[in-house]
Amino acid sequence: MRSQRGVSVVGWRCIEAAAGLLAPLEREVVLGDLAEMDGGAWRGLVDVLGLAARRQLALWRSWRPWAASLGLALPASLFLMGWSVAASEAVSSLLGGPPHVRLVWLSISRLFLVICWAWMAGFVVGAVARGTLWASVFACCAPCLHCLSMWPGHGLSFLKLLIFALPGLWGVWHGRRELRLGLSLAVFLAAMGTLGFLISGKGGWMYSCGLLWPGWYLTATARPRQV
Amino acid sequence: MVGEFEYLILSAAAHLGEEAYGAAMRELIESSGGRTCSLGALYTTLDRLEAKGLVETWMSAPTQQRGGRAKRMVRVTGKGVRAAREFYEAVIRISLGTAWGESRLGCLPGDAV
Repeated sequence: MRSQRGVSVVGWRCIEAAAGLLAPLEREVVLGDLAEMDGGAWRGLVDVLGLAARRQLALWRSWRPWAASLGLALPASLFLMGWSVAASEAVSSLLGGPPHVRLVWLSISRLFLVICWAWMAGFVVGAVARGTLWASVFACCAPCLHCLSMWPGHGLSFLKLLIFALPGLWGVWHGRRELRLGLSLAVFLAAMGTLGFLISGKGGWMYSCGLLWPGWYLTATARPRQV
Repeated sequence: MVGEFEYLILSAAAHLGEEAYGAAMRELIESSGGRTCSLGALYTTLDRLEAKGLVETWMSAPTQQRGGRAKRMVRVTGKGVRAAREFYEAVIRISLGTAWGESRLGCLPGDAV
């Protein structure tokens, strides 16, 4: 790639990399402006990073990033960690001992609930705060990493975290793309999440606050049925 | 009323007319305004002005000069012209009678002599 006016190839590459923080249309406009101007690599880089920082700050004036990161990702990761440990313990008991109907039911229901809740929470995070996803990921990862470092080998492991992390990321990916679920799917997931919680009856109503509301939020904001 | 930087952007866009876009406006503000102007400040202020209905912006066709990239063109609306005039007149009025304003500023159009 050739260098732009007054900017070395390396400098321009740095500017282009930083411009990845901007929305596609704005990225093109800003890179075009910088290609036309003669400000040097450092000033171009400061320009791009300054604009990206201003855009990011503007996003935080809304309730959405706060709700997604501190209201959902942080508490949900704490609750889901507990559920992941409970689900993996049920599966371990099932695999380690003689098969029992109750253990099979416990393992399946807990795994289903963890996956269902994690997917719904991920979907809401992805749909509500697309531009500040990094903060939600941080709010989700911070308590997990803290627990792993504080209590290594005490029931929690990376593998157990993956039970909710993978469905959560899958939900985020869908949430970013679709923003809203179809009504039937949203009602089904919310109902299954709630019903599963009521039948399983583990953890009390504190869990329900953190993990059930994403499902009903998805129902409330679902796309209406096409007639 | 618009702010100082908003006024500079409105004036730069009005000066440049059909050729008003980010890089050209920044150059004009820096050369005439005697101050640095970051692209971040320029584009976030443009967004605010557009939200207030004081300017309109649209994307131009890509040009070779910019490595095949489009420009964000700017046009001042009628409401923008009124807002800029209001700011300008306020600055003139408040400056009349001051040590720095007396010798350089005349009367506003429409004022009684």
